[in-house]
Amino acid sequence: MEDARSIIENQIEELAERNREPEWMTEIRRKALEAFLKAPHNDPVISEEELLQFIARPEIKGLPEKIESLDDLPEDMRNLLDRLGISEVEQKYLAGMAVQTDTGIVYNQFLKEWAEKGLTVLPTEEAVRKYPDVVKSHFLRLIDASESKLAAYHTAVWNGGIFLHVREGLKVPFPLHLFFLIQESALAQAPHIIIIAEPNSEFHLIEGCTSPVLVRHSLHLDMTEAYIGDGAKARLTVLQNWPEYVHTRPMTRAKVGRNASFINTTVTLGSGKSNVANPKYTVDEGGRVELNGIILGQKDYYIDLGGEMKLIGRGASGLNASKSVIMDRSRVITRGVIEAMAPGTKGHISCDALLMSDEAEMETYPGLRSRVSEAELSHEAAIGRIREEELFYLMSRGLDEEKATQLIVKGFLAPMLKDIPAEFLVEIRKIVEMAVSGGM
Amino acid sequence: MGGTLIVEDLHSSVEGKEILRGVNLTVKPGEFHVVMGPNGSGKSTLALTIAGHPKYEVTGGRIVFKGRDVTKMPPHERAKLGIFLAFQQPHEVEGVRIMEFLQQVLAELKGMDGAEAYDLIIRTAKDMWFREEDLYRPINVGFSGGERKRLELLQAVLIKPDLLILDEPDSGVDVDSMSLISRKIEQLNEEGTSVILITHYGRILKHLEPEDIKVHVMKDGRIVMTRGGEFIDEIERRGFQDIFKDCCGGD
Repeated sequence: MEDARSIIENQIEELAERNREPEWMTEIRRKALEAFLKAPHNDPVISEEELLQFIARPEIKGLPEKIESLDDLPEDMRNLLDRLGISEVEQKYLAGMAVQTDTGIVYNQFLKEWAEKGLTVLPTEEAVRKYPDVVKSHFLRLIDASESKLAAYHTAVWNGGIFLHVREGLKVPFPLHLFFLIQESALAQAPHIIIIAEPNSEFHLIEGCTSPVLVRHSLHLDMTEAYIGDGAKARLTVLQNWPEYVHTRPMTRAKVGRNASFINTTVTLGSGKSNVANPKYTVDEGGRVELNGIILGQKDYYIDLGGEMKLIGRGASGLNASKSVIMDRSRVITRGVIEAMAPGTKGHISCDALLMSDEAEMETYPGLRSRVSEAELSHEAAIGRIREEELFYLMSRGLDEEKATQLIVKGFLAPMLKDIPAEFLVEIRKIVEMAVSGGM
Repeated sequence: MGGTLIVEDLHSSVEGKEILRGVNLTVKPGEFHVVMGPNGSGKSTLALTIAGHPKYEVTGGRIVFKGRDVTKMPPHERAKLGIFLAFQQPHEVEGVRIMEFLQQVLAELKGMDGAEAYDLIIRTAKDMWFREEDLYRPINVGFSGGERKRLELLQAVLIKPDLLILDEPDSGVDVDSMSLISRKIEQLNEEGTSVILITHYGRILKHLEPEDIKVHVMKDGRIVMTRGGEFIDEIERRGFQDIFKDCCGGD
């Protein structure tokens, strides 16, 4: 533990200097380090000992130092890109982790225009320098760094991430795919994302991409704090495709204002070795939150998707819906909790899973808590396999078993993909096809 | 077009229970065969065994189509060879939309591209009383009996198989749908498709001349009688119990 202290201390000083960050932020980091030493550790996969090892040696050996073109990527990743037929733009920004300028300009141009209207998008480090007051009042306000070792460690060494601020009443008419900022964040071990939607604003932020993200570390801890103002309509779609050596622990907290809505969709195409998430939301009067999860469990990966919704205002509603395709020897657990704390609130948890192998495992634990008498809470769960009759029907028309299975799996997931922009859908479907036929 | 089906001394079991006990049947290109018989005589098992359902295990004999032994061939390869089974109870396939499924089938069997297939599917479906929006529903989910049977025939018309096996296309179907279905079957047969029609009633065949039809009667997993088309009326008049006295001494 003492080793960890001095390692983290050094990291904090390095980050403070590199980011030219104001003292108050460095102070938050130092406090988090103290919290880290005392905080409980309760990860289902990573033991405290392993965590300390990660801290001592966060980077994976043998990965390229800098990636400037596709040729620098490891061979298996390059092959995968070829098979996916990933679009050129996406290939470029994947390769362009060191910043690819030509497409970058296009986005900067767009962002410049919209900046004047009140859309601010910046790397979080830059936002700390440029808008210290705004960041100060929104940094770590929804989560307590001392709640776990992972939260504390993230807070001490956070780097990368984006800051998104949408001015009151501003409606952004198309999805924001913030490729570069996100991609750079993926390189960082602990990106911190702040989303501020002022009252009556509207936007759709898409984080991540369908290409597998090359990360240099074996433990990835990102944190998202979302402040959704009264009457705002916010959508956050997260596409995750992690390489198999990484453990990911996304931490999301959102505060949803009166009559606001927050639709949080997570598409986990590649979960990495393990993926444990327990996003927490509070929803005020008339507000609505949706957590939609699409999960592809493969190999021996462990995926644990929680989700806690506190419906604190009258008429607030929450939906926690997941669809999982569970293959090989992977294990998927879903455990949503909805707590009705005001009259007239509604909550629903639904969990559908398709088991593709005898060794795959699925568990689901819906949690409904009602603190008031006038609340409607419900849940449904269905864990099934592809039925022989379905498969035979498709095969009897000339599709081989693999194609028939792919069609059924894609059909199973389709209702959850309705909000995903078309340019991602083609690739998502291809990744699903490849996963189903064991090609990944 | 064409290709002869030869079923030789076929034995088939489900979950260890023998249902077909030596079926012999030859269907030449363009021929029209009707298979009748009481419930449980093995008609559906014959159809599903020829189509290659994994639950139906062939324990003896063989199935030859177009000169190839298909007895152990997986179902999709039989389909590619030209065998099509219109199911008695077509299953629901959750999530898989009809349009996407048919486009893929036509790509697989006919090498048709998506746009070409789309046009053909829309046109053919309208002709068979489907609305365009029906094609975006998942296969058979929430379909009435009549809709399911029409969807089977729609697929047959699109694929134009060399051998069309129909397992009671007339059961659970209203009068209007039935006349559409029988018209389509006859049309496919006129265009050269061989037909094996499993049915309880002869009324589905209005326009076919009895001399163009072969009628087989099954009993206890075997074909015990084969006659001409005029036999259908006789079966309907006398019933199977009486008919069996002619061949098998009754029971």
